[in-house]
Amino acid sequence: MTTVPVVFVKGQYNHLISRTLQDLGIESRLLPASTTTSELEKMGADGLVMGGGPQRVRNMTDLTGELSNAAQLISKLKIPLLCICVTHQLLASAYGGETATAKSPEFGPFEISVSDEDTILSGLKPSFTAWESHNDEIVKAPSGFRVLASSPSCAIQSMRHESKDVFGVQFHPEVSHTTKGVQVFRNFLGVVRK
Amino acid sequence: MVSAQVQGFHPASFFSTQTARLRDTVSGKKALAAISGGVDSTVATLVAKQALGENLVPVLIDTGLMRLDEPEKVKARLSASPIDLKVKLVRAGGRFLDATKGESEAEAKRKKFRETFYQILRETAQETGCEYLVQGTIAPDWIETQGGIKTQHNVLEQVGIDPQTTYGFRVLEPISELYKDQVRKLGTYLGLPNDMSGRQPFPGPGLLVRCIGQVTKTKVQLLKSATKIVEEKLAPYSYDQFFAAVIETRFDVSLPSKQLRETAASALGLPADEAQVAIFDQPVTGVKGDERCYGRLAGVKLSDESREAYGWLPEKLQQVQSSLVSKFPEITRVAVLVKEKRGGGPFSIIVRAVSTRDFMTAAASPVSWKVLKDIADAVLEIDGAGHVHYDITPKPPGTIEFE
Repeated sequence: MTTVPVVFVKGQYNHLISRTLQDLGIESRLLPASTTTSELEKMGADGLVMGGGPQRVRNMTDLTGELSNAAQLISKLKIPLLCICVTHQLLASAYGGETATAKSPEFGPFEISVSDEDTILSGLKPSFTAWESHNDEIVKAPSGFRVLASSPSCAIQSMRHESKDVFGVQFHPEVSHTTKGVQVFRNFLGVVRK
Repeated sequence: MVSAQVQGFHPASFFSTQTARLRDTVSGKKALAAISGGVDSTVATLVAKQALGENLVPVLIDTGLMRLDEPEKVKARLSASPIDLKVKLVRAGGRFLDATKGESEAEAKRKKFRETFYQILRETAQETGCEYLVQGTIAPDWIETQGGIKTQHNVLEQVGIDPQTTYGFRVLEPISELYKDQVRKLGTYLGLPNDMSGRQPFPGPGLLVRCIGQVTKTKVQLLKSATKIVEEKLAPYSYDQFFAAVIETRFDVSLPSKQLRETAASALGLPADEAQVAIFDQPVTGVKGDERCYGRLAGVKLSDESREAYGWLPEKLQQVQSSLVSKFPEITRVAVLVKEKRGGGPFSIIVRAVSTRDFMTAAASPVSWKVLKDIADAVLEIDGAGHVHYDITPKPPGTIEFE
């Protein structure tokens, strides 16, 4: 059975990620951010998802405990990785990008325009409605990453590493109101099972 | 590929695992089950009943904050076939009003409620010789409490309160990993009639969290009458949850009224003088970016002509809501004025109707303008009601309830 654990970083919807994956027939449960890569290997993790949380990412030296642990995982992980909301921002900062307070924070439904249907957003062109809940946003994408989607008020709704199977989304594909969100997970599982 | 319906949650195996676990834990002792008639506590009690039989004592606390005649109706319904639960009804209305007297802050009210609730359960457990308490905590309850969004009345251990030393019983939560839709499936599996397994949620603290700000007898009475009207008028539609809340019609004038008005009007594509925005004085609960946000409720009033012309355009109103919340960090929720009564009472009734699968996110339902006006006409007949608003805030940034 395919195993894709979820790193719990205190977000409201972290549980829903596990639930969505379970509904797709995947073995999935929440793990603390302090889980190490060798522990992940031992449990046979084929991919990893990191959820959202209430923390703020400003620089890599001033992170909360769980984000600092999550950053460790981001730097060491060899299996496919999907980062959602605050960990999408963390992913950017970890690779040299920048996160700051959003000019227009987004809460609730927003229209996501897909510019690049690459892997994770496959089948989602030209646009879809996704639910958001963020005060901060990525203001500078890290080099080596490609931006895949945007919304009118947020330029980097999704990005991927040019060569690694590492993806980030600002919106919440795990909530039921993002009706096409399950497609994002199916796409990610396509990479995981590759 | 196997369909999502087949994967995931299986009521039968969940049920047998949980009953075995309960039997093992309680092992011949007695357990109290706190039941409100809501689907969560009813399903948790039914699971425990199957596991523990006569050693389970279901108790219903009349908090004085349930709906009109609700305690009696619930007791009668639960006692009848096919549920057949012998429910002990404990009258404690006065104690909850006393405990929350003078308190207007949402979290303080919830904590006072929780303390009173468990004190009563402690007394009942002592009287009946119970060493355990079964309760219907579900996943969103403890996720929101742990995340600091709001204090749920039934979450103790997850927030570091040891019930054994504080209240003298151990807490058992057989459905704490489930979401609402899974609880409903389990209820159906256990033979709960559809109207009960599909019943819309009613929060444990009841009308306390819909009585925004201070809880007084007057406000609770007005709210009980308004609740009856809203529930009856919206019952024919398939909204997942719908109810009324009450708030003092008192406004905070410290926010820039011109900018508020311009933001609302521009989202609607109207001249600035056709929209007015008033900010209620009493804060309400919301959630922004995974953080609890005890913020402001904005009341938007459109001119009669625009309102009639627009009728009810959910997309436009959604834009008003999202522009106001995005531009003014202190605003969490937005409601549209449906009707006001000249010389009416000092309170506003806020109508809320949402669609949601698991109560983690929710969309404001597109209730028709005609239905809203019908509701407003009836509500404004009640003593004390002066204004009727409709809440157009999704979750996030709002929550489903107001406190």
